[in-house]
Amino acid sequence: MGGAALKPHLTYVAAGVTLLLAGRWGELGAQQYRIRLDTRAQQVSYRGVTLDSIPVADTVSTPGRGPTSPDGFAVLCLSGVPYCTFFRPGPWRNGGPLTSTVDLTAWGLGVTGLSVHAAARLGIDFGTADVWPGTEPAVQLLEGYAEYAVTRATARLGRQVVASRLGTTGFDGAGVVLRDARRGVEIDGYAGWGLARGVALPVTSPVLNPLDDFQPRQRQLVAGAGAGWTKGPADVRLDYLREVDPGTDHFVSERVGLGATLRPIPGVQLAGGADYDIAAGWWGSAEATLTYAQSKVQASVGARRYRPHFDLWTIWGAFSPVPYHAVQASVAVTAIRRLELRGRWEGYEFEEAETSTPLFSAKRDGWRWELGGTYRPLSGLAVDASYRQEYGPGAGVAAVAGTITYEPSRRLTVVLLGSQATRPLEFRFNEAEVRVFGLDAQLEPSQRVRLGASVDRYREIHRRPDAGAFDWNQWRVSGRVVLLFGSPADLRGLPPSIRMLPGGRSER
Amino acid sequence: MKRTPVFALAVIATVVAVGGLRAQQPPRFDHLKHAGLFPTCTGCHQGAEDPEQPIFPDSAACATCHDGTTRPYVAWRRPAEGRPSNLKFAHELVPLMTRETPQGTQTLSCEDCHVAPGGQRMAVRRATPEGCLACHGPGVTQHLAAPDSLCQTCHLPLVRAAALRPADVAGFPAPPSHQAPNFVSRAGHGALAKGTSEPVAASCTVCHAREFCVTCHVDAPEQPAIQALGADARSQAIAVRLAAPASHRESDFLSRHGGMMREDSRACATCHTRESCLACHAPSQRVSAALHASGEGRGQGAHPVRHPPESHRENFTARHPQAAATTPASCAGCHVRTDCLECHRPAAGSRPGYHPAGFLTIHPAAAYARQTSCSDCHNVGSFCATCHASAGLVSSGPLRSGYHDASRFFVAGHGQAARQSLESCTACHVERDCLTCHSATGGRRFNPHGPGFDANRLRRKNPEMCVACHGATIPTR
Repeated sequence: MGGAALKPHLTYVAAGVTLLLAGRWGELGAQQYRIRLDTRAQQVSYRGVTLDSIPVADTVSTPGRGPTSPDGFAVLCLSGVPYCTFFRPGPWRNGGPLTSTVDLTAWGLGVTGLSVHAAARLGIDFGTADVWPGTEPAVQLLEGYAEYAVTRATARLGRQVVASRLGTTGFDGAGVVLRDARRGVEIDGYAGWGLARGVALPVTSPVLNPLDDFQPRQRQLVAGAGAGWTKGPADVRLDYLREVDPGTDHFVSERVGLGATLRPIPGVQLAGGADYDIAAGWWGSAEATLTYAQSKVQASVGARRYRPHFDLWTIWGAFSPVPYHAVQASVAVTAIRRLELRGRWEGYEFEEAETSTPLFSAKRDGWRWELGGTYRPLSGLAVDASYRQEYGPGAGVAAVAGTITYEPSRRLTVVLLGSQATRPLEFRFNEAEVRVFGLDAQLEPSQRVRLGASVDRYREIHRRPDAGAFDWNQWRVSGRVVLLFGSPADLRGLPPSIRMLPGGRSER
Repeated sequence: MKRTPVFALAVIATVVAVGGLRAQQPPRFDHLKHAGLFPTCTGCHQGAEDPEQPIFPDSAACATCHDGTTRPYVAWRRPAEGRPSNLKFAHELVPLMTRETPQGTQTLSCEDCHVAPGGQRMAVRRATPEGCLACHGPGVTQHLAAPDSLCQTCHLPLVRAAALRPADVAGFPAPPSHQAPNFVSRAGHGALAKGTSEPVAASCTVCHAREFCVTCHVDAPEQPAIQALGADARSQAIAVRLAAPASHRESDFLSRHGGMMREDSRACATCHTRESCLACHAPSQRVSAALHASGEGRGQGAHPVRHPPESHRENFTARHPQAAATTPASCAGCHVRTDCLECHRPAAGSRPGYHPAGFLTIHPAAAYARQTSCSDCHNVGSFCATCHASAGLVSSGPLRSGYHDASRFFVAGHGQAARQSLESCTACHVERDCLTCHSATGGRRFNPHGPGFDANRLRRKNPEMCVACHGATIPTR
């Protein structure tokens, strides 16, 4: 309860510290900073469906086919119900999302090891309808924390994201990492007020509840700890995470995960891990993969299991989601100097769901595989092609895709792409074919500016014998500008060869 | 055949050029031809006895005979005095030099160095280093084959050889010891430099000064041997290229170099500055803490090229979650959060990054069977449900088999599909849709609990969840 009272304060404190430090910028001695401004815009138009109904008496019966509406839509009529339902084409919706993300890192704040990090995003939908996800609220603080780092410890205060095998956990709070590099030991802990999964918003945000479902009234308290050991050919890490509803003092989740990586000989790696849902009392996801990686051959075989995780403030966990078990293999070979071939395969099967499903049963197993290759006939030119099939419960895909990448210099990249996919659905009478053609260009006129633009044409053909096979074709146009600002000290002492590395320090 | 004129022209041009060069050089004095004329060496080469006198005679002395009448003029000219050298030798020391012979101790003469053994007195040649080494070395030895420890016997340290020009320094021949495979290592040139009681081996000082070492050595200020060298910018005339040791070319070096550094960072600190590390380890300043920062008196050090390890090649996108979950510290060695957020929190206005182009149109297959954990990046409410709602793909009103029209009996038989793909269901359905039938209080009392359901545990952890369906009367099993 006390946490609820304190929760806004922590965010304000972190923001205040950041602003205070920013405000004193000019008074401090050796400030250094990097600012990365990434602005992207996209123009998208698409079309959904709208539920409609007609009286049973108005339906049209055609020999050899089911009932339809007068204008040709197949309708679904249930016995005892006086009307039939069907889906008409929805209105065209035009989305024009624009996002601008700012990444700031500043150090040299008068205390050695102290730095400030912030990542914020502005999102606006300039479309005719506010239909694009992720653009509300317009300003989102993805991360914002002050960090104090010395050789043996790092401490953070503010909004941060912790990544572990239990997923990404966002929270407003504090975290500390202690390490003994010589012994390869690292211990970390954190606590704060949590954010919802997969988004930088609290779980109480109305934006996360578009369907007016049940929603907690208070943010969950998050506490986690981890310990890792790295020595020579072995890495081991244990993570624990608990979330508690401060309003009821009941668990939202409680999980523990263990992962390990072994590198017995050069080029060979065995990685595996598992997590256990203490709150639900069952094993979650797990995996083990043996990888062989050399310059000309990379191969892996492995097995994995996946079970979704649901917070206990929902009822979904009580529906007993069952996991699936999969085996997989992949290989990539540089056959000749300019040709790389790759392939991967995975087969999976769900555990017995123990349901009684009269007159209907879903597929229980599935597979997915892909074959592809990249040929580089000339320097700066690459041709890539792949074919993949995926078939399992709910949906399937058979797709061929190809790209031609022309990179005359590292400042300019032009990609021509095309793909064709057939995507049957299991639970809906629909087998669509999608063809995509696109052109993408990236230009770096200087080290601190990157420009990009793309245009794609989607042609979607719905194979239905009724009027539901309407046109879903669309154009997508996007643009991107990335600007980097930084104090000269940021790059001081680095040779030009390093400063100009693609993806290197100067780009951050 | 067509090449013949070209070849002829080339030959002619070469001959003319060589002839021209020769024409510019004064003719050499033929000592043997004048053997009867000059009984002693010092008659002409007075400097060999008296350092105040020039070593070579004036060309006017030639004109005594070569006056154009008695003898034709000659174009011989006295060579320039003071040819740049780092030799300690001085001709006036020759009388102090002796050698042991069967006849007893003899003082050296000009012929001992300038005439081949058994040669005629005036068959003069330039003195050779081998001649010096015959007495000052292990015997008859090729110049550069002599032990490095002998260099300083005849040669001045570079810093004292003031007459040498950078071009002269650049022309220093490298002794065979420098060609040894491990010469670049600490056991090679490092051991040679420190192998004496002096702070630095005197032999090194003959060709090298501190600036030369700083070309590579980042840890120059911490190396006593380097600091013991004098400072002389001319030493940089010797071109040197910092080459990576063999260990750096091993395929798994990238994965091992962290452990190697932890074991002995001194080896790394020889060639690498902190900036070397930061080229890749941008987010992790602690990685580079053991190394010296670049600065005055230190070399720039190695310039590492950032490239992904072998493990990051094909299909790594699909495999990387395990590595990221198990060893986040390893990832953090090179990656900053922004790298992750590029894909894991895509901007609404961006093209797909993590997913292939056009993924949106084919995402049902990956979503139904959860090829990956979608909700790590996509919030079901704000992302999936919002988009599905705008496309009309959400439940509204009483549940029927409206959208799932592949089977008329989907509603009755949806249980298996729901338990297999429950996350997908929640992208379009809310809890009240399910409670229509599955609630114990207001619904049709269909029991949704299946394999693995631990009622007691869940009630203990969060009874609110039970209340949603059972109300205040939560059954016990």
